[in-house]
Amino acid sequence: MILKTVALEPRHGWAIAKRIQQISRDVLQVQQGSLYPALHPLQQKAWIRAKWAETETGRRAKFYSLTAAGRVQLENEAANWDRLSSAINLVVQTS
Amino acid sequence: MAWVHRLWLRLQSLFLRKGLAKELDGEMQFHLDELIAENIGAGMSREEARSAALRTFGNATALKEEAREAWGWTCLEQLLQDVRYAIRQLRKTPGFTATAVLTLALGIGANAAIFTLMDALMMRSLPVADPKTLVRLGDTSDCCVNSGSVENGSYALFSTEMYERLKKYAPEFEDLASMQAGFPYRPVVARRDGTQENARSVMGEFVSGNYFQTFGLRPAAGRLFSDSDDVKGAAMVAVMSYTAWKRDYAGDTSVIRSTFWINTKAVTLVGIAPEGFFGDRLSTSPPDFYLPIETHTLISNAPYVHDPDVRWLYIVGRVKPATQLGPLQEKTSVSVRQWLKETRTFSSTPDKSLPEKTHVVLTPGGAGIQDLREQYQSNLGLLMGASGLVLLIACANIANLLLVRGMRRKTEVSLRAALGAARNRIVRQLLTESVVLAGLGGIAGLAVAYLGARMLLRLAFSGAETIPIDPRPSVTVLGFAFALSLLTGILFGVAPAWMASQTNPSDALKSGVRGTTVGASLLQRSLVVLQAALSLVLLVGAGLFAQSLTKLQATDLKLDSRNRYIAHINPQGAGYSPRELETLYRTIEQRFHELPGVNRVGISNYTPMEENNWSNGVQVQGQPYSGRDASFIKANSEYFDSVGTHVIMGRGIRTQDVLAAPTVAVVNQTFVKDFLPNGENPIGRHFGSPLPPEANGDYEIVGVVEDSVYTSLRWKDHRMYFVPITQRPSSNKEPIDQDLSLYAGALVLQTQWPVNNMEEIARKTLAEINPNLAVVKFQTFDQQIADRFNHDRLVAQLTALFGGLALLLATIGLYGVTAYTVARRTSEIGIRMALGAPRGGVIAMVMRGAMSQTAIGLAIGILATLPCARLVESQLYELKGVNATALAASVLTLAVASSLAGLIPARRAASTDPAQTLRAE
Repeated sequence: MILKTVALEPRHGWAIAKRIQQISRDVLQVQQGSLYPALHPLQQKAWIRAKWAETETGRRAKFYSLTAAGRVQLENEAANWDRLSSAINLVVQTS
Repeated sequence: MAWVHRLWLRLQSLFLRKGLAKELDGEMQFHLDELIAENIGAGMSREEARSAALRTFGNATALKEEAREAWGWTCLEQLLQDVRYAIRQLRKTPGFTATAVLTLALGIGANAAIFTLMDALMMRSLPVADPKTLVRLGDTSDCCVNSGSVENGSYALFSTEMYERLKKYAPEFEDLASMQAGFPYRPVVARRDGTQENARSVMGEFVSGNYFQTFGLRPAAGRLFSDSDDVKGAAMVAVMSYTAWKRDYAGDTSVIRSTFWINTKAVTLVGIAPEGFFGDRLSTSPPDFYLPIETHTLISNAPYVHDPDVRWLYIVGRVKPATQLGPLQEKTSVSVRQWLKETRTFSSTPDKSLPEKTHVVLTPGGAGIQDLREQYQSNLGLLMGASGLVLLIACANIANLLLVRGMRRKTEVSLRAALGAARNRIVRQLLTESVVLAGLGGIAGLAVAYLGARMLLRLAFSGAETIPIDPRPSVTVLGFAFALSLLTGILFGVAPAWMASQTNPSDALKSGVRGTTVGASLLQRSLVVLQAALSLVLLVGAGLFAQSLTKLQATDLKLDSRNRYIAHINPQGAGYSPRELETLYRTIEQRFHELPGVNRVGISNYTPMEENNWSNGVQVQGQPYSGRDASFIKANSEYFDSVGTHVIMGRGIRTQDVLAAPTVAVVNQTFVKDFLPNGENPIGRHFGSPLPPEANGDYEIVGVVEDSVYTSLRWKDHRMYFVPITQRPSSNKEPIDQDLSLYAGALVLQTQWPVNNMEEIARKTLAEINPNLAVVKFQTFDQQIADRFNHDRLVAQLTALFGGLALLLATIGLYGVTAYTVARRTSEIGIRMALGAPRGGVIAMVMRGAMSQTAIGLAIGILATLPCARLVESQLYELKGVNATALAASVLTLAVASSLAGLIPARRAASTDPAQTLRAE
């Protein structure tokens, strides 16, 4: 999910949280702080990288972006997810 | 390469943790600010916006912790935290820390010091190429120049001929080298040609041409030997040791190709052995010169170099890769058996089982010839055991100290537990503390080890010119000390930590220090009992060795060492041929008698109480050969008086007993007792060697002397005979020019009064007779005798040291526990006194507690000493089992020490002011 949100362009934590909320149409209401413990393992696995930059409002923030390895991972996960969800769909709809 | 990147990130997170944490803070703050701004934008007040934002965000601290864990170094972080905390805690209690570190330093240091010796003697390889592939032929330290059969059949000493055959017929060896077994007993006289230097007695070892090649050595300068140096008729050459080159010639390369006079023969020095190479064995007298075996005949006048019946060489070889040692050993044994059958020794022996029991054992050769190891092995084992016990006592002490400390910190630990610290985290923290403590002790212990090892070496090799062992701890020793500290840290840390973790927080927080009678725990008291028992064992051991030494030194040697000086000489090295010796001895006697104060001038091949022994099979004429032998001394007429041996029957040796006179002998009492047991008059009887048959009438007994002690006090029933130094029995058909037994090895000078500069005088007098008559070794007779007790003295001193250390530690332990108990019971004692308990009663009560522990410890200790004493029995002189004196003395010492340890806190308890205590309640 996080990978997907940073796939298009580099975003900072705040923006990622907003984006997830937006896309999921407020269905996924998590404590926003939980984002950070989740970001760090991704960074350790070198799927995303971070750098400091200016925001549109002029403050400094840490921007996360997808790495090549992260993109591969995203594609794999997306494919997996597709398979799984379509399988579930199939089960749910046919029974 | 993804893993490299990941590793990089990992390391980054390790070393840049602080920065990362700050970034995380900034990042979260930014998030919060945005949230607040958004909320304000939605129309909330500032305060409302803030709390709403915090709610949405969640528990920031917990989240930060969670994020940090993702960096993956929590474990290490906690460890560092623990270590820092431990150091802080230790620094807060300097008294405790100092006591603990010192105790540990002594315990670990003593062990590491003994281990340094152990390592150097038992485990270290020679500084040669690939020591693992070196193999020695033989497993005994038989020495020097032997003929006749080997009693148990295990061969380690070989004739030159045997060596050459083995070398030729054993293709399993890449190289097979041989070396003179007894070189330390046959120094050479050396002088560089064309210089003013005096002739000096130095060590020279005769080795095979491929010696250096076998060890895989390269010269430091010049060249080393090759096979062509070791053939008959080759130019005489020598190699000098690196140490001698640096010491005597300051590393001057011009000595190479120069001529040296070795035993008055011209020899060309061709090169210098590599730095660090000290020969094929650890020795207090490493060789200065290496010389080819073939030149031994000419240089040392040795007639035996090509005698197939004389064994004088050790053999070390390098096996080819993948050689099976089992079959090789079998094959070597078969060959040796086969070839020995051709020798006179085998054809003439009465022992019919000899051929089949003859064998050779292959042993690892990487450490060289290990005669020094054999000498010290049993002692080192004993010392290792004693120092191990000391360490155990030290551990018990530290455990006790930590327990006491743990009790004091009970409240702190409980508080931490109450605040939610995990039990395993507390245990881990306490363990870290004890390991840090042990680590500090270990470091201090290394310093103790270095000093201790130096002291030990000086004690062990007192009087030696070179100490062959470096006291600096090696990597192995460092590892040993580290492992030991870690082990002790865990060992004595586990119990206190476990006990602390068992604390129920609510109990301790209720401030339960109030006057209960709960004193030291059972564990603490058992530790004190254990300490008392262990130190009793060590004290008894120390007592036994001290007694053994006293007994040794008090034994009547039947010698007189007052105003006696012994100068060892080497007339062969000075170039004398056997024919010239009679004149030389007369000259020596005459010149020394001319000196003021000189009463007697004894001349002999060797003297009493030195590490030398010449012996021979003896058959009394008219009796069958019993297979027994006797030691013999060749001496001049003044010899008996000079060493203080009394003639008790017949006469001693006279000046008239010269080469041309009938051959006579003086025997000692044991000789008479063993060979002429039926009260026969020994005077006038004849005896000699059992072979050849006509030899058994060689010597006529003309006198009997008392049993003066030779070689060692432990040599009981030492049969001896004494013959005039220049006489040769008629059965000896060997040319006189080859008769080495005519050469004297020592002068014994007895003076009227003590002469302080006797050494100088002796050297000068000898040099005036012949500048090549160098003194090999000069000592007073007293020193020589004292040196023979070095070993026993060393063991006695060290066991006393360890015993004292153990006593000290045990006393501190008992004091600690008693003092602690008293401190805990202050209020109780105060109430007792307020209720009318007398001072004496209080003292008795405290002492009862302390002494009962000691008493139990003593009882266990006494039981433990019995088997321990049996273990060391073989190292004691004429002592069997535990004797009452040693035991009583040790028990008394321990009892006195522990009552002192108990009395101090007991008096403190008795001086408790009841009023004050009650007010404190």
